[in-house]
Amino acid sequence: MLKKAAAWAAAVIIGLALGVASVWAALSFGGAGAMEQYGLWRHNSLAGSTAADPYTRTVIAIKGLLALSVREARYLDLSRDEEGRPLDESCIYELSSPPLPARWWSVTLYGRDEYLVRNNDNAYSIDASRTLTSANGGWRARISPVRGETANWISSRNAGTGFSLTLRLYNPHQPFDVTAEELPTLAIVSCTGEAS
Amino acid sequence: MSNGAKYVWTALLLAVAVHLSLIFAAPYVLMGKAMERIGVDGTNMWHVADRVTAESRRIVRPAPDFAYSACVFDLSDGPIRLRVAPWDSYWSLSLYADNSDNFFVIDDREVEYDAEIVLTRGAQEAPENVTAVASPSTRGIALIRRLAPDPGRYAAAAAAARGDVCAPLTAD
Repeated sequence: MLKKAAAWAAAVIIGLALGVASVWAALSFGGAGAMEQYGLWRHNSLAGSTAADPYTRTVIAIKGLLALSVREARYLDLSRDEEGRPLDESCIYELSSPPLPARWWSVTLYGRDEYLVRNNDNAYSIDASRTLTSANGGWRARISPVRGETANWISSRNAGTGFSLTLRLYNPHQPFDVTAEELPTLAIVSCTGEAS
Repeated sequence: MSNGAKYVWTALLLAVAVHLSLIFAAPYVLMGKAMERIGVDGTNMWHVADRVTAESRRIVRPAPDFAYSACVFDLSDGPIRLRVAPWDSYWSLSLYADNSDNFFVIDDREVEYDAEIVLTRGAQEAPENVTAVASPSTRGIALIRRLAPDPGRYAAAAAAARGDVCAPLTAD
């Protein structure tokens, strides 16, 4: 009798654990959210959409609650460098961008916890209205823990490892059929020490 | 069915049930939490958020270049009137259902001066001379974004936001 109860309890516990683990796995590794890839940028064209499937809706609710639908804004996220490593405060990165296909754009750095990183640099983001651009509208920006001599700076101070960038394109040009070459590219300038 | 199999099936069925309920419930739970936080001072009224900084932790991935105003709407006692006061740069009004879907958005390119809509639910009726929008849920969130990338622009946007309206239609 006791043995039977223990077996039922084990079945229930394993079932619950499997259910939770499978949700985590589906959201982390699954095709959850029908992600499109543009170079290093990941984009979900169903964000905020009333046509979103339950997985997409859940991913967006976790990662970007109150996001706008694609008609109004496109959100693209970048969290790994060209070699697939998580972005790290110990590295200096450079973003190079052609003129972007939108009325207004911004690039913002978020910590692992999905919020702005606590530092006093007041350099959370760059945007179309404040960024120094070249004559054709292209621009370069530095992502580093200290400003140095760059004109366009996003601070990664206190961001640790595993931070990410969000590119926002407001009132994107329609139809939205960009290629990776039409978006900012990320290059590593240098890294200090070995990221653990 | 052997003795062992019935435990395996129980575990598997339970796993599927847990998986589906978590996936379907998560957006409602997260929206519920957001409505609780935003609507802490009441529903059907605008809450003008402080300038976005690292201390802004009510909503994930906030944009520091916007001045946000949010209103938790509740249509259980009738339609709600929403107005966005004029702003001289990009702005948008977006509406979110209780499952987090962005079911409506309007921006400064689509209106000449200010924007005004009446939000209804089910059989509720709006006056004839206004833009009526039907909400798929009784409760949800209205959000105004005003482009304001520096402290001076933020202060101006916060001042403009005082002219915004989120109130029961009958309260005028």
